[in-house]
Amino acid sequence: MTATEEHRRKRKQPVKDDATDGVFHKAVDMVMHSDEEGGSIASDTDDAVDEFPGIDVHSDTDEDDSDFEDDDEADEAEEVLQSSDEDNHIFPKAKTIISDITGQPKRVYPEIEPEYDSDSSTEDAPNRVGNVPMHWYDDLPHVGYDIDGKKVLRPARGDELDKFLLTVEDLSSWTSAFDKNTQMDKPLTTEELDIIRRLHANEVPDAEYDPYEPMTEWFTGKGKEEIMPLSAAPEPKRRWIPSKWEKQKVMKIVRAIRQGRIVPSKPKATAQQQFYPIWSEASTSHAPPLPAPKPKLPTNSESYNPPEEYLPTEAERKDWESMDFEDRERDYLPQKYSALRLVPGYDRFIKERFNRQLDLYLAPRVQRVKLNIDPQSLIPKLPSPSSLRPFPIYKSLTFLHNDSLARCLSVSPDGAWVISGDDNGVVCLWEVTVGREVKRWKFSSKVGAVEWCPRTDVSYFVVGIEETIHFVIPPNLSPSVYNLTYKLLAPATLPSPPDVPSAVKWTTAPSSSWSINLPILTVQLPQTSGLPKQLVWHRRGDYIASVSSGSNLGGVWIHQVTRRHSQAPFKKIRGSVQLVLFHPLKPHFFVATQQYIRIYNLSEQLLLKTLVPGIKWISSMDVHPSGDHVIIGGYDRKLCWFDLELSDKPYKVLRYHTRAIRSLHFHPAYPLFASASDDGTIQIFHARVYNDLMTDPLIVPLKILRGHQVKDGLGALQVKWCNHHPWLLSGGADGAINMWCS
Amino acid sequence: MASSSSSGPSVPVVFTTQTPYPLPTQKFMIPATWRRFHLSQLINKALSLSIPVPFDFLVKKEVLASSLGEWCAENGVAEEETLEIEYIESLLPPEKMSDLPHEDWVSSVSCELQGYFLTGSYDGAVRAFDYSQKLDTACPIHSAPISSICVVPVNEDDGSHLVASASHDLTAQLTRITLGAETSRSQLLATLHLHTSPLASIASNSTGSHLLTASWDGLVGLWDTKIPTSDEVPEETIDHERKKRRKLDATAKPKRKAPQAVLKSHTLRVSRALFSDNDSKTAYSCGFDSTVRIWDIENEICTQTITASEKPFLDMIITSDGNTALAASTDRTVSLYDLRAGVVSNTLSFLHPATPSCVAKASSSLHQIVSGAYDGVVRMWDLRSTKDALTSFKAWEGKKKVLGVDWKRGLVGVGGEGGLEVWKAGEDGSKSG
Repeated sequence: MTATEEHRRKRKQPVKDDATDGVFHKAVDMVMHSDEEGGSIASDTDDAVDEFPGIDVHSDTDEDDSDFEDDDEADEAEEVLQSSDEDNHIFPKAKTIISDITGQPKRVYPEIEPEYDSDSSTEDAPNRVGNVPMHWYDDLPHVGYDIDGKKVLRPARGDELDKFLLTVEDLSSWTSAFDKNTQMDKPLTTEELDIIRRLHANEVPDAEYDPYEPMTEWFTGKGKEEIMPLSAAPEPKRRWIPSKWEKQKVMKIVRAIRQGRIVPSKPKATAQQQFYPIWSEASTSHAPPLPAPKPKLPTNSESYNPPEEYLPTEAERKDWESMDFEDRERDYLPQKYSALRLVPGYDRFIKERFNRQLDLYLAPRVQRVKLNIDPQSLIPKLPSPSSLRPFPIYKSLTFLHNDSLARCLSVSPDGAWVISGDDNGVVCLWEVTVGREVKRWKFSSKVGAVEWCPRTDVSYFVVGIEETIHFVIPPNLSPSVYNLTYKLLAPATLPSPPDVPSAVKWTTAPSSSWSINLPILTVQLPQTSGLPKQLVWHRRGDYIASVSSGSNLGGVWIHQVTRRHSQAPFKKIRGSVQLVLFHPLKPHFFVATQQYIRIYNLSEQLLLKTLVPGIKWISSMDVHPSGDHVIIGGYDRKLCWFDLELSDKPYKVLRYHTRAIRSLHFHPAYPLFASASDDGTIQIFHARVYNDLMTDPLIVPLKILRGHQVKDGLGALQVKWCNHHPWLLSGGADGAINMWCS
Repeated sequence: MASSSSSGPSVPVVFTTQTPYPLPTQKFMIPATWRRFHLSQLINKALSLSIPVPFDFLVKKEVLASSLGEWCAENGVAEEETLEIEYIESLLPPEKMSDLPHEDWVSSVSCELQGYFLTGSYDGAVRAFDYSQKLDTACPIHSAPISSICVVPVNEDDGSHLVASASHDLTAQLTRITLGAETSRSQLLATLHLHTSPLASIASNSTGSHLLTASWDGLVGLWDTKIPTSDEVPEETIDHERKKRRKLDATAKPKRKAPQAVLKSHTLRVSRALFSDNDSKTAYSCGFDSTVRIWDIENEICTQTITASEKPFLDMIITSDGNTALAASTDRTVSLYDLRAGVVSNTLSFLHPATPSCVAKASSSLHQIVSGAYDGVVRMWDLRSTKDALTSFKAWEGKKKVLGVDWKRGLVGVGGEGGLEVWKAGEDGSKSG
């Protein structure tokens, strides 16, 4: 055989081996899937190196194998598998014959008979369901379909006893395995059994693989030396030019050094000794375990040598012994020993320890988070009331209306006289400082409101009774004031009547029959208008507004004294009007309905603002002399302070009274206001208002004045301040009018 | 004396006095348990007085009410410290002399006239009672409440007296009252027209030549007491009452008098205007504007203003030496102001439980005053002891206000809601009463 022939043969053999490998693998396919892939890879590599006579592991095996086989054939004592290989003719033997046509020797393989014996791959598996999970057929009588689409019925399977009998009877059952596809035991083939054996013996499972095959010398030995280089291609240029990629890498490092990311001469971190704080607490999100409560320290009586007085008497000892364990105040009896060495062993030690442990683990320990806030620090810093003097502090005198409610009162503009009206229709004029009644008027029905005219050049007051407002001149006036007042209220020539006839009639008492005991001027409000609840003067003293209790037009009338004319400012108004007020400086008009305060501009006839105090039923209202602040009191005990510049919501809500608020009044000069309530108290507040828009008003509660009796659920009904002095007058349901002095 | 003391701690004491019963300056060792009574006996025995005189003792401006030892313990004075004790003649407990009910409130009382009490009442009448509680005369001279009366000390030859009264009807009036059971009558001499507001007080000087009126309009009027022959002020007519007035003209009408001067400085109501006792050129006034003002009458200017803070004054007296003013204010104090200092400094205050409406000084003593308050209690004070009243008594039953007091010749006239009450108090009360 020439070298080339040899070469060719050698080259062909692996191909054959490949084929056999493939067959082999296919045969084992059932059990091992991974090997197939490995085989295919091996075949791929083989394909790739077909030009180069690489090292083929199988190259020489054939010969050796055949040698071995020959040996095996010779002695077939064991190696059943080998022999079975022979029997099965897995490896078809090729014959080399001389071709008739070419005259060259050629290898001829035996004909492949297309029978079941020929190839395992052609075995006709009756079940053609393919590679599907067979548990799909678990509940069905068949296990799949054959090539004709017929059901392959599940073969009968015996029980465990049958199996056992089978193993006894049929030796081949040891070498059979359950075939899922057919759902029955199939005898293993000899190759499979061989693989199992090899695996069991920790050998390479592939029977073909020889780990000890001899080295094939390709390039050594005589005539095999390679003199010429394998490739005559010139050296590529890249072998001589510096590497671009190296350069990029170096530049990256250089850049890093320039930017300081790499410090070249950085001292190596010295191998410091690392300490691990194994005893310190790891920082966890858990709260640290709570310390156990300390046991009580022993007292004198627990001493081994306590003073005599600690020793129990005989009776005490008996008592203690007769008591139940739980009832005992202490669980020991003091005992006295003259020396420490005489003290016996502590018999309760274990029990005590045990109880301590019980205490520790049975008692839940909870850390109670206690806000450590000084309650004093939550109270806003307010100046002390004593620094805000003067304000009323004591009851100086009392004026009594007998058997009636002192419902209304008013202080003259000079602060010297008071008029007070009661429910019997009596109006009294009395001195502020002495409390002496000077004059008394009797009207036909109960007095709803009295109010002095704020003008100082004239002096008179108005009294509101049922459907009527009376104008009354007080006595003891200087002639000039008296003349002016008389001229104002009973002018010689009446002003021309208004174009639109009003429902309100103005009547002057005839000069012949008039005396100072009678009202000089009477304004008759429309019928069914009821009692005027409130009379309020404009600061100039020309206009007076009245609010009546029962009327359709809201009961609000504005009367002009000089023109003797009355008009209702509102054609219709939502809600029933409780109170009205004139703004002290601007032509604004405050109207309080049950829940809202509306501010109207009277000259432009516009609604300017609606205040929402959040009070269920407004009872009282007053405006600060500066006109920028309004206080509103309600029957639901709340007092709201409104800063008109700020908002239509209250700046502050005070709730100090325990009953409904009845009346509020700002002092015209001092920074004070007072509130009267049905709980019989009057509260005095300091209310300083700053011109600076940035500073909030300062409201300081100063004093609670108690002095009115609560009668039929009514307490103090009205409060009024004295002009020029921090003196307060309050009328109550007990008929008393108290004067409170600073 | 010291040796005679019983066993127990004793206090070294030096006695001083301004009474006519001085002890020699000597240190006494007084037992700490001794009280006022013992001390008084000690002084009486030491001076061997024939008629025992009761004394009160002032220790550091405080009337000794307890024993000496207790006082020392209360005030933290060591017992070894020498105490200087001033003794004063004791004020006997006041005795009620008479109760003279009025129809209306009495605003002002005067005990000036020997043998009579004059009252000004809210019904506009001046009444005179003699000491036998008989109403001597009642002259309804004002149409409005009288706020103040005073007796003008002019020597009338026929035994009549000139009484000035100030009223709420904006006028003051000068009335000649002749007292005596049968001959009692009154004659309205002049009406004083200045004020446009009710008058608060009227006062005359010691010689009776001038009057001062104080009014609610902040003015103080200075008047002489000469009765003019004709109206000095034209009658201000009230337009629609012209006819009525004409009718009144027919009767003998008092002359309308104009003020000699008007003292304007107070900003609010003037509650009291007074002449100085000694100096006829000086007047004092106090008002609701919390000021006490000193006026030079000749030049009609305010020479000095003492401004207290927030003390509207209701009444004022000037002590006899003219150095201090005592003013009652609505903050429930009677305060002592030094008129010489000119500035308010460390004023002494006599605290009351109710508004003090009136004060009066004793005619005999420099240091004793009486004050009436709205709680109906009249309190007597010694100016050297501000802490407690020397004594007090309640006029009338129930809560009735005291509006005016006067203290002359050991008699305290108390006017107020219940009328007039006369109490005997003071050292010379026994002689006159």
